[in-house]
Amino acid sequence: MLNRKVIYPTFVSTLATTLFFVAGCQRNDNSQSGTPGKPRVALVMKSLANEFFLTMESGARAHQKAHAAEYELLVNGIKDELDVSRQIDLVEQMIAQKVNAIVIAPADSKALVPVCKKAQQAGIVVVNIDNKFDDAVLGDSGLKLPFVGPDNRKGARAVGDLLAKKLKTGDQVAIVEGAPNAFNGLQRKAGFEDAMKAAGMNIVGSQSGYWETDKANPVVAAMLTEHPGLKALLCANDNMALGAVAALRAAGKQEQVLVVGYDGIGAVRQLLKEGNVLATADQHADQLAVFGIEYALEMLKTKSAPADRNTPVDVVSTP
Amino acid sequence: MNRTANSSARPLLRSFPTEYLGLTLALSALVGVFSLITDHFFSVTTFRTIANQIPSAVLVATAMTYLLVIAEIDLSVGSVLGFCSAVLGVAMTQWHWPLPLAVIGTIAAGLLCGAFNGLVSVHWRLPSFIVTLGMLEMARGAAHAVTRSQTQYIGSSVEAIAGTSICGLSLPFLLAMVIVVAAQLVLTRTVFGRYLVAIGTNAEAVRLSGIDPRPIKLAVFLLTGLLVALAAIIDTSRFQSANPNAGTGFELQAIAAAVIGGTSLMGGRGSVVPTLFGVLITAVLNTGLAAVGARDETKRLITGLVIIAAVILDQYRHRLGAKWKNS
Amino acid sequence: MNSGTPLLAIDRLCKAYAGPVLDGIAFDLLAGEVHALVGENGAGKSTLSKIVAGLVQPDEGTMTLRGQPYAPHNKNGAERQGVRMVMQELNLIGNLTVAESVLLGNLPHRWGWIDWRELRDRARGIFERVGLTDIDPGCFVKSLGVGRQQLVEIAAVLARPCDVLILDEPTAALTAPEIERLFVEIAKLKAAGTAILYISHRMEEIQRISDRISVLRDGRLIATRPAAELSLDEIVRMMVGRELGEAIHRESVTAGPVALRVEGLRRGDAVRDVSFETRRGEILGFAGLMGSGRTETMRALFGADRADGGEIFLCDEEKPVRIRSPRDAVRRGIALLTENRKEEGLLLPLPIRANITFLCLGQLSRAGGWIRAATELAEATRWGNALSVRCHSYEQRVDELSGGNQQKVMIAKWLFRNCDVLIFDEPTRGIDVGAKFEIYQLLADLAAQGKAVIVVSSDLKELMALCDRIAVMSAGRVAATFRRGEWTQDKIMTAALSGYLNQ
Repeated sequence: MLNRKVIYPTFVSTLATTLFFVAGCQRNDNSQSGTPGKPRVALVMKSLANEFFLTMESGARAHQKAHAAEYELLVNGIKDELDVSRQIDLVEQMIAQKVNAIVIAPADSKALVPVCKKAQQAGIVVVNIDNKFDDAVLGDSGLKLPFVGPDNRKGARAVGDLLAKKLKTGDQVAIVEGAPNAFNGLQRKAGFEDAMKAAGMNIVGSQSGYWETDKANPVVAAMLTEHPGLKALLCANDNMALGAVAALRAAGKQEQVLVVGYDGIGAVRQLLKEGNVLATADQHADQLAVFGIEYALEMLKTKSAPADRNTPVDVVSTP
Repeated sequence: MNRTANSSARPLLRSFPTEYLGLTLALSALVGVFSLITDHFFSVTTFRTIANQIPSAVLVATAMTYLLVIAEIDLSVGSVLGFCSAVLGVAMTQWHWPLPLAVIGTIAAGLLCGAFNGLVSVHWRLPSFIVTLGMLEMARGAAHAVTRSQTQYIGSSVEAIAGTSICGLSLPFLLAMVIVVAAQLVLTRTVFGRYLVAIGTNAEAVRLSGIDPRPIKLAVFLLTGLLVALAAIIDTSRFQSANPNAGTGFELQAIAAAVIGGTSLMGGRGSVVPTLFGVLITAVLNTGLAAVGARDETKRLITGLVIIAAVILDQYRHRLGAKWKNS
Repeated sequence: MNSGTPLLAIDRLCKAYAGPVLDGIAFDLLAGEVHALVGENGAGKSTLSKIVAGLVQPDEGTMTLRGQPYAPHNKNGAERQGVRMVMQELNLIGNLTVAESVLLGNLPHRWGWIDWRELRDRARGIFERVGLTDIDPGCFVKSLGVGRQQLVEIAAVLARPCDVLILDEPTAALTAPEIERLFVEIAKLKAAGTAILYISHRMEEIQRISDRISVLRDGRLIATRPAAELSLDEIVRMMVGRELGEAIHRESVTAGPVALRVEGLRRGDAVRDVSFETRRGEILGFAGLMGSGRTETMRALFGADRADGGEIFLCDEEKPVRIRSPRDAVRRGIALLTENRKEEGLLLPLPIRANITFLCLGQLSRAGGWIRAATELAEATRWGNALSVRCHSYEQRVDELSGGNQQKVMIAKWLFRNCDVLIFDEPTRGIDVGAKFEIYQLLADLAAQGKAVIVVSSDLKELMALCDRIAVMSAGRVAATFRRGEWTQDKIMTAALSGYLNQ
């Protein structure tokens, strides 16, 4: 007796098997007809809903198009930066697909370590970009992965140093942090603090603006009221700098308070020109993934030992 | 005897002292606490700052109150706000539309989302919870699609809206207040308002009374789309930029504000002025906690507790009020 | 099995909800007999069977099972002692497979993992007993028709051993061959010594399979007799009782012109072909058994449910009117006061004022829909006073009122709307006696004012006291229409049963 309860699973599993075989055959075809040894690089991205990562991704795609003969590129990303488990799934899928290299911007600096170890054990070259894996966890699991990316702390320090030149020692400053669990956010905060402390500024507040304009705005507005003598705001990204500028405009304090950001998104360039934002850091987002991919290809070729590589961060300021 | 839109003929002003006593007390208590523990909280600047920040939240929470009154909900308000903001930003920066046309386009985008929510949930009799959950994803996706996930910097050309002030009060704030008063009056004193309360109370009874609830529900969804679009325009003008992630989590803020104001999630009970108090309480709380410089986890903990405490306080006020009336 | 000693004996059983439902019932069930329980709607059959099955506890009285005191606290308690019931309302869980729902509570398993093969085999064995050989134990309950669900339910009960089996309208949804199979199964159980309490409206079934018949009326046991000694007429007479009860005085009104004419109204199985007309100044009653399609007819006529076919004419118009929604009906001056006041009629948490004025807000408002508050309250007060709604104030919530006053608010609401045809579905259900007479008087006054009034009621005495004509529905059709003076309770009951005699 056949019924839906039996037919349906049978149907689904048959379909799945068929697809699997078709996919398998096609892949065999590819590897036979395509250039033998042309490496397949998987780029596993963080949020695809974020301008910064999108720029990174399109940079990588452009690079692959220009070097189509050298490697194949698979790009995957997750919906938002918090969906860690989905990213782990993605890496596992890449391992199953037997890619040659994985270039990953981990959504979590700790949770992704085990699956990357699995990938490395499967003989896949893994390169860490954007968000550096936690050193302690890496050491614990005996995993060595090269990190290719900007030093957020150094970049933030450079932005802060530039700001400090416009301030007097002892001036009140405040920091607008990123999401409290983001490693790069913490690095940027640390870099800002390094610069401010070195220049002898007085950090009167440091609160999270959750990376977003509309979340940073009320926080900045409240800090402005509470600290009327505030001279500068250091924002961990440019979107939050936009929120800070709006708060300054509402309070009529644009002349009094300087704002710096980070990331160098398109929207903030205009503000730089208008003088509403003093400086931001350009991490060359379009090149970030490319650096990682190039490094992975180099490792595949030379089988060299992994070492970290810092990518350039440029301070962009009011022209 | 209670503050429901229906139970008293004219609750707006005459009954103000008793109707809104609990909420006024809660709000004053918060202001008092923050004034004591910080240096500059109790100042004109703070209140001007809050007045500057709340208009968009007030508009969205007003729409949410209407929806909750008819026993519907819209989880997509935050995403639709992001989408509308994105449309305004792209229209001005990429397509170079003049401001009035861009504003009209933005309102059209909001109405479109509202119409979709309303038509789908009314026509297929789907719970609006599900339909708007779908819209939450779609509108956010659309926001990213039109902006290509890039924050659009518009600049001072859009400043006219939020920057204009009359007698020291910003245009958005005045607009929000006018809408609150109008929405409250419509809900309590018009046939349409009466129908809303009736539908939320018992939609089947309304249908069997020969009044078709469907166009009325649709109207509320459209109104929501309109108010969300206005909120998006206000925020975009304030930030002079359009961020496709704008309004994330806004739906929960709006629901919280309505609930703090005593609106029932089950429909049939709700009022707009108390929702305004709800928005004010959350805004004061956010500003106050930021002024204190509280750690992030502390902020969340306290915000959650205040929401619950406000609702409990409201319950007590109801009971006390009933006792008072009976004695 | 010695069929002389009672297996189950019931003595002086009483149960009251709002009023008495069962009053001093005493009867017994013998092993190996089919004992039929008959009576009008609300006579107390279902309550009695629920008490025996442990679903309801009696207020007074005792039961004895196999000579031991028997007082089950719930269904499980009764089942442990071998008393089982097939409910009139289906007890199956739609989202489970047939096999699961039949063996629910007794699923074969290994360490919590359901043993599907064992489950299917057992279920199949159970179904074969009632001849359900073609049912797949793996299909979902909700995919079966109601009749098959009923059979599955019966099978599920038969699957477990029992000494006393209660069947409440088991054949309501079955086809003739299915009924035959059920009777074969009943005969087998009987032979095995099971006592069967059989509740049904269908007289020919009862006469065919039962050994003894007990007749209930108004919560009292009228008689228990061997089935062979009773004729259909006798049963009916006992069901309705000899006296008609005190008549409600009503001035006879000369009926005016036709207000509403319905022809060939159909909707699903419930409303098969209904035609009738009602005149201004007349009260037309609708009698019939539960499930005969009276409420469904009124809902279809009012547009609350979409009719499948049929035509509705207003006044003496040649052209039928289109009524596809309550909105259309109300516009044509038709009002329906539903039987579930609380669920479908009133806005319970809202004040009396808002309920009364709800349909006429348009005429109480200025341009733009602004309600004139003072006028609204004045009108609500006028209509409320006209119907003498008892309340502290018209701002009081409707759910604080008694059933009778709630009904008055409903009537006030529709009177304010000035409808010509007023349909009342069970207008006095759940209303105390005093308020009932007030409602009757109201209905009579409405007719005197020239309204066409339709009253659906399960209380035959009420209809006979109130109505000018009574239409009797049976199995989705109007079986007969009687004028005042033509009817007797016997005739009405016979007509009400007629649709179920030769199906």
